[in-house]
Amino acid sequence: MSDWHTHVFTSTYTADVSGVCSVLYELGGMSVLHDPSGCNSTYTTHDEPRWYDHDSLMFVSGLDEMAAVMGDDSVVINDVAAAAKDLKPRFIALCGASIPHIIAFDYKGVGHLIEQRTGIPVIPIATDGLKSYVSGVGLASREWIRRFADQNAETIEKTINLLGITPIDFADMEHVNALKESVLPEGYAVHACFAMGDTFEQLGDIYAGAVNVVPSSAGRMPARFMLGIRHIPFVEGVPIGPYMSKQIQQAVTASAADGISRKAYGDLPEQGNVLVIGEEIYAKSMAAAVNHTSYAQQNHLQACAVWPDINEGLNEDALIQKVNAAEIVICDPLFKNIIHNKNTCMIAIPHEGYSGRIYSRNIPLFCCRSFDIEERLRERK
Amino acid sequence: MNEYQLIKDITYQYDADIGLAYSSPCRGIWNIVHIGTQVPGCHQIYVCPTSCLRGVVLTTAEMNAMDRLSTITVGEDNILEGNMEETLQEGVEKVIASLPERPRMIMVFISCIHHFLAANYQRVYKVLREEYPDIDFVDAYMDPIMRRKTPAVPSLTRQTYRVLQPAEHKPHQINYIGNWFPTEKYSDLTLYLRDHGIDIRDLAEETDYDRFKEMQYSSLNLTFHKYAAWAGKDMELRLHQKWVAMHMSYDYDVIDQDMKNVCELLKIEPVPEQITAQKRKAAEDKINELKKLIGNTAVSIDYTAVDEPLSLALYLLKHGFNVESVFIEVFTEAEEVFNELRAFKPELKIYSADNWNMRVMKREHEGKIIGIGQKAAYYNNTDYFVDVIWTAGMYGYLGIQHLAEMIEEAYQTPKDMPALIQHKGWGCCAK
Repeated sequence: MSDWHTHVFTSTYTADVSGVCSVLYELGGMSVLHDPSGCNSTYTTHDEPRWYDHDSLMFVSGLDEMAAVMGDDSVVINDVAAAAKDLKPRFIALCGASIPHIIAFDYKGVGHLIEQRTGIPVIPIATDGLKSYVSGVGLASREWIRRFADQNAETIEKTINLLGITPIDFADMEHVNALKESVLPEGYAVHACFAMGDTFEQLGDIYAGAVNVVPSSAGRMPARFMLGIRHIPFVEGVPIGPYMSKQIQQAVTASAADGISRKAYGDLPEQGNVLVIGEEIYAKSMAAAVNHTSYAQQNHLQACAVWPDINEGLNEDALIQKVNAAEIVICDPLFKNIIHNKNTCMIAIPHEGYSGRIYSRNIPLFCCRSFDIEERLRERK
Repeated sequence: MNEYQLIKDITYQYDADIGLAYSSPCRGIWNIVHIGTQVPGCHQIYVCPTSCLRGVVLTTAEMNAMDRLSTITVGEDNILEGNMEETLQEGVEKVIASLPERPRMIMVFISCIHHFLAANYQRVYKVLREEYPDIDFVDAYMDPIMRRKTPAVPSLTRQTYRVLQPAEHKPHQINYIGNWFPTEKYSDLTLYLRDHGIDIRDLAEETDYDRFKEMQYSSLNLTFHKYAAWAGKDMELRLHQKWVAMHMSYDYDVIDQDMKNVCELLKIEPVPEQITAQKRKAAEDKINELKKLIGNTAVSIDYTAVDEPLSLALYLLKHGFNVESVFIEVFTEAEEVFNELRAFKPELKIYSADNWNMRVMKREHEGKIIGIGQKAAYYNNTDYFVDVIWTAGMYGYLGIQHLAEMIEEAYQTPKDMPALIQHKGWGCCAK
C-alpha cells in the first residue's frame, strides 16, 4: 500500500515554522514560535546556519497542557510582552505549530492584544507545523510586506526584487550574491532581496522594484500578493548555469515590458532518465539546465523534476520507483539510501532544506551563471 | 532585566517558569533519539507533524543511523478525518514490511497532537503486539506539551525498561538504570561491586538485545540520575526489584553512606574504613593539587555537565576555588545544599540557562575562566572548558579525581568551543 505519511528510509523537508523564522531573521524583529518545545531547537540546530554568529531574536512560547486546554492566551501575551519590553524589537512575528492549530489559536486576535500592550507592531502568521518551509517563508514574507512595505513607492525602472531568499534554499551570502549577479539583464540592478543581506528599511521600499524574481517556490506567495496589489510581474527560475541565467534575464526583460509573469524554465517532460529531486523551482530549473546541455542531447538524456508537496512532502513509494527507474538522480546526498539500483548514478547537491547542516559545507555555487552541470554529468560515476 | 540573580536573593522555591525560552547553540545533551539508539536492535518510529519530525530525523542522520528510524507524518487529513489510529497501525506495518531486518524492539513515539485528538494509540499497540509477537513494542512519547507532568527523558527512560518482565531474581545480579555512559573506569562503586562478585548489568555496556532483557533477573536497581527515578520506581512496582536512588553528590559522607547502603542490601562486606580513608586522601590530594595549579582562576558550572551543579560548586568553593557562577534549569539538589551554598558564597551568580534574556547576554568574561559544561563555556565564551554531559560515568572518589583531571586539562589546553558544543549528542553512538 502506498501512502504519503510513512517514510521508512527518507528524511523530511523542513517545516513552515522554520521558514517563518528564517525569512525574518535579519529584519530586527522578534519571532515567537507558539509551541511547547522542540521546534525552536530544531530550527536553530538544523535550519539556521546564522544562529551562532548573528544575533537575532527567536523564542519558543513553551505552551503547556494547561494553557492549551484552558485556552489561556494570557500566558503567551504576558510572556511576549515581558520579553519585548526588555528587548525592544522592531516588530514581533507570532507563528505556531500543530497544537495552536488544533485548538484554533487566534493569531490575529492575540497579535492585536500584544500590540496594544507593547506598542510594537505584531504580524500574526498562522502556520500549523504540518506544512513545509515553502508555506512558512511565503506567509511570513507576505504578512511582513502587507504590514510594513510602502505600497505607494514609485517604481524604479530596470530593477528587480528577489523573493523567497533564505539559507534554507540558498545557504549563505556567497550564494545569494552569485544569484543576484546571474539573474540581472544588462543595465538592471537588484532593488531588494527578501530577505538576506537587506535591512528593514530597504525592504520597506520593495514595491519600487519593477519585476520580482522568484528563485524558490517560497517566494511565490509574496510574488502573487505583490502582483495583486501593484501588478508587479514575477519570473520564476534559478540561474543554474548559462542557459538558465540567460532564460531568466530574457524573461525579466520581457516581463518588465509587458507586465506578464513567466516561468523561465519553460515546459518540462513528465518522464525522463534523469531525475532532479528538490524544491520545485530549483528542481525544474535544474532539469531545464540539464536538458539544454550538449552532453544530454548527445547521450539522449532527458531530465524531469519531482518536488515535495507543501502539505504532504514526497511520497516515498513513488519516489523510490522513480529513482530506481532513472539513470541519473540529481539530489541531496541524504537520498542515497533509496538508490537501490546499482546502475543509477547520484549527482549530489546538498540542500539545507532537506539535510540541514550535515552537508552544508559541500553545497556548490549552484545558483550562478558559471555553474557547470554538464561537467558533473560527464564526471558521473 | 539582569540575566542572573545572586544566590542570596533567591529562595529554594525558585520560579522555573521562565516565560519565552531561548535555545542556545549547545547541543551536547542527549535527546530521546539518542536514548532510543542505545537499545541494541531497536528501531524507532516517530509519528508526528513535519515540524516535530525534522529534529529527530536529522539527529539520526547526523549519527549516520537513518536505518534505525522511520517516520509517520501526521497531516491535516488525519485531523479532519479522525484516522490517526489507522495511519499509525498501517504505517508501522509498512515499516516492518519494508525493513531489511526484523527489529527486536520497536519504540513508537506519538506526539502532542495524539493526546489532543484523543487517539486510542494503546489499542493500536495491542493489535500490533498480537500481529507481531516476536517484536517488543514500546509506547514512547515525544509530547512536550505534557512536559510538566511527563517530561520526555524520564518518560522514555521508564518506557525503555518496560519490556522487562517479572522473573526470578539473582541475588548477585544488579542493574544500573538510566545510565548512558559506561562507569567501569571512574566509579568506585562499579569497581568495588565487581571485585566482590556482583554482576552489574548496564545498558550503557550492552550490545546484545537478549543480554539487555536479562536485566529482568536482577535483584536490585540503582539509579544515578534524577531522570531515571521514574524507571526505578516503575521497576520496583512491576518487577519487584529493589530500587535505590544514588546521590551524585560531592559530599564525601554522602558518597560513603550510599556505598554502605548498597553493600548492606547486597550482603557484601562494606568498604573498609582504611580503604575509604585512602580514597578520600587521594581525592583531596588531587583537588588540592588542582587548586595549586589554577589558583584563583574563575570557574563556572552548568547543569548539563553534572547532575548536581550546586553540590559541585559547594565542594569546589570549600576547597578554595573561585566559583563565580552556576547555570541551571531547576534546582536538583536537596534544600540543605542550596542553603549551605548560599551561606558560603552569597554573591554566587545563578543564571537561568534557557531564559529569553540569555540571547542578549554579553558572552564575555574579563580574564580566564574555566567552564564546566558546554553552556558554561558558551555563555562565558571560553575555550577552556570541560566537555562532558550528565556526569559522564563518573561516581564517587574516582569520579572526583577524574573530574579534577578534566578541569586541569581544560585549564591547560583550549578547545574548539563552537565546533564541540554544536555537535549533537555528546559521546553518543548508535548501537
